[in-house]
Amino acid sequence: MNTVTLDSARPAAKAGKTPILAVEHLCKTYPVGGGLFRTPRMLRAVDDVCLTVQRGETLGIVGESGSGKTTLSWMMLGLLKPTSGTMTVDGKPIASFSRLEIARKIQPIFQDPYSSLNPRQTIGEIVAAPLVVHRIGDAAQRGRLVRDIMDKVGLPARFLHAYPSQMSGGQRQRVAIARALVLKPEVVVCDEPTSALDVSVQAQILNLLQDLRRELGLTYVFVSHDLGVVEYIADRVAVMYLGRIVETGRASQLMTAPRHPYTQALMGSILTPDPGLGLPELHLGRGFPDPLNAPAGCRFHPRCPEAADICGSAAPPQRHDEHGMVECHLRGGSPGQVISWKTGT
Amino acid sequence: MNTQSTLLRVEGLSVEMDVPAGRLRAVSDVSFDVAAGQTFCLVGESGCGKTMTSLALMQLLPRKARLSARQILFEGRDLSRLPPREVAKLRGDRLGMIFQDPMTALNPVYTVGDQLAEVYMRHRGASRRQARDRGVELLERVGIMSAAQRLGQYPHQLSGGLRQRVMIAMTLMCEPSLVIADEPTTALDVTVQVQILQLLKKLQAEMGMAIILITHNLGVVARMADAVAVMYGGRIVESGTPGQVFGQASHPYTRGLLGCIPGREPAGAADCRLGSIPGTVPSLVGETAGCAFHNRCAHAHEACRHGVIALRDAGAGHRYRCLLPATGRDIHAAAQEALL
Repeated sequence: MNTVTLDSARPAAKAGKTPILAVEHLCKTYPVGGGLFRTPRMLRAVDDVCLTVQRGETLGIVGESGSGKTTLSWMMLGLLKPTSGTMTVDGKPIASFSRLEIARKIQPIFQDPYSSLNPRQTIGEIVAAPLVVHRIGDAAQRGRLVRDIMDKVGLPARFLHAYPSQMSGGQRQRVAIARALVLKPEVVVCDEPTSALDVSVQAQILNLLQDLRRELGLTYVFVSHDLGVVEYIADRVAVMYLGRIVETGRASQLMTAPRHPYTQALMGSILTPDPGLGLPELHLGRGFPDPLNAPAGCRFHPRCPEAADICGSAAPPQRHDEHGMVECHLRGGSPGQVISWKTGT
Repeated sequence: MNTQSTLLRVEGLSVEMDVPAGRLRAVSDVSFDVAAGQTFCLVGESGCGKTMTSLALMQLLPRKARLSARQILFEGRDLSRLPPREVAKLRGDRLGMIFQDPMTALNPVYTVGDQLAEVYMRHRGASRRQARDRGVELLERVGIMSAAQRLGQYPHQLSGGLRQRVMIAMTLMCEPSLVIADEPTTALDVTVQVQILQLLKKLQAEMGMAIILITHNLGVVARMADAVAVMYGGRIVESGTPGQVFGQASHPYTRGLLGCIPGREPAGAADCRLGSIPGTVPSLVGETAGCAFHNRCAHAHEACRHGVIALRDAGAGHRYRCLLPATGRDIHAAAQEALL
C-alpha cells in the first residue's frame, strides 16, 4: 500500500518536467594554505557536478568524509556561492531570487542538534524565528503556526517554553525539523540529520521524515555517509568521491547492482547484524584520498582493485543510460552485469 | 583462539557518582567473563554504561565516580583491590586500550615514534633504539607502509585510518593479553572501518590477545564477536553468542534495536517504515526500581515496575533480563507491536 503512494508521489521518472532543483557543472574551489608570499593551493571540494532533483523525490547523496557532499549541500541551500557553474530553482537561476525567497523555498536540517539550536532561546522562539524573519502573521497567528508544526513533528506543547538543554538529542532534532518546516518550504536539505543520534532514536526521526514528506509533499536532498539510511529514505542516490559524482541511479538498483568500483566497495562495507557472515573483503588500496592532491585520471584509481593503465592517465568518461550515470573507464554496462572482483594484491 | 580459559572475570561491578540532581548509577551489578583470545562485545546506546564499564576495568574512572565490585579478576589478580600504582603498571603492558577518536587520544606535539617508544621504554625498560625498532616492527604489522619515515611524523599529518592504525600499534607494543577497544571505528569512514576491523581480527589471530569491543553498531558486533552483552540503563539485559542474541533475541530492547536498523530488508520491501522504540533512554539518577526498559516496552506489566529483574537462563549460556517468556514472538512481530 505504501509503495503505491510512494510511486505516485515520485514523478522523477517522467521526463519533461521542470526539476525543482538543478545544478550544472557546479564547482567550488577553496584556497588552502598560502601566506604573504606563497600562493595558496586550490582545493576542489566540488568538481563539475550535474544533478537534478524532481519535485516530490528524495535524492540521497552519499560519500565519505572529504568527498564534498556538505559543500554541495550548502551550495544547494544558497549559503555558498559556487566558483563556477549554474544552479536553477524551479527553472529560474538562483541569482534571480533574493536570500529570503530562497529560504522560503529551501530549508536546512543540520547534523548536530546540539549546536544548531540557540541555547538561550525557548523552543517556541526557535521554531517561530523563521516566521519573524519573514514577517509572517501577528504574534497570535505565529503561535498557532508554531503549535501546529510542533504537533506534526511530535513535540508536545509543554516544550514551547523549554530550552534545548532540557531536551534529548531526538527531541532537539524534532525542533530543528519543526523550524525547517514552519515556513512550508518545498525542498528540505538534510545534512546527516541522524548521525548524531542513537539507533533507536534515528529510526523515529527517519520515520517522521518519511511521514512528513508524504503529508506535506516535500522534496528532500538527503546527505549521509550511512548507506543503510540512504537506501531506506532515498528514491535516487548520487555517490560522491573526492568532489565528483561517480555514479547515480535509483536507490534499489544502486544497492543491489552497483556499477562503479567505489560504489561496490561502499555497498560491500555495509555491516548488517547477521552473525556468521564475517567481515567483507573489499580489496581496496590503502591510499588515502587527499583532496588537495587529487590523483590524475580517475580520482579513485589509487584505491581501485581493477585500475588499468588508462585510469591513471585519462579522466574517465561519464556514461548516461536509463539507469543513471557512471563515471568509469571500465564500467558502463548495464547494472545487471555480473560483477566480479579481481583478487586483490 | 582455541583456548577457552577465562582471562578476565568481572563480578558485580557497579559505578556510582554524585551529580547535582542526585546519585547517578552509571553501571549496576555487571558481571561477565572474557575468554583468552576471544572477542567480547559490549553493545548499547549512549548512556547505557558501556564506556563507564570499560573505564572501570582500566581504573580510569573520573575522580568523582565510585567503583565497587565483588571482584575483577584479571590474570589471577583482583584489579578492584590492587593499589593504583600496580594497576598503572598493567595499563599499556598487559592491558591495552584503543580509544574512539585517535586525534584526541594521540598527543599532537609528539611524533608518532616518540609516542610509540614511550610505552615500550616505560614498561620494558628498553633503550630508545630498541623501542624505535619495535615501533617500526609494529607499524609494519598494522599495515603502515614506509614505517620508518612515519616515525618522524606528527598525528596531524596522518589520515584518520592511519591514526587509528598508529593507535593500535601503540596498544600492541607490549603484546597485551587484553585490549579494550572503545568504539574504535566510529570516527572512521565505512570502507576504512572494515579495513580496521579486519586488521584487529588478523592481529588477534597472530598475537592471541582477547578484545573487549565496545560499540553501538550491531553490525560490527555481529561480524566480530565471540560473545555479546547488550547493555541498557547500566545493566546487562541480554548476553550470549551473536547467534543467540541476534538470532533468538529475547529481551524486548534487543528485539527493538534490531528492528531499528535500516537496510535489513531488501529495498522497497512491503512496509517502508522502520521499527522504532518509542520514548527515550531513562535517567539513571536517583532510585530506579524494576526493569529500566519498562516505560518504553510494549509488553510491560505491573510486575516490571518493581524490584530487581533477575537474569534468566535461556539455555546454552544465553541469558536475558526480562519477566516475559523468551519464546513465542519473533523480532518483527515485536517491532510491529512496538509501533502501535
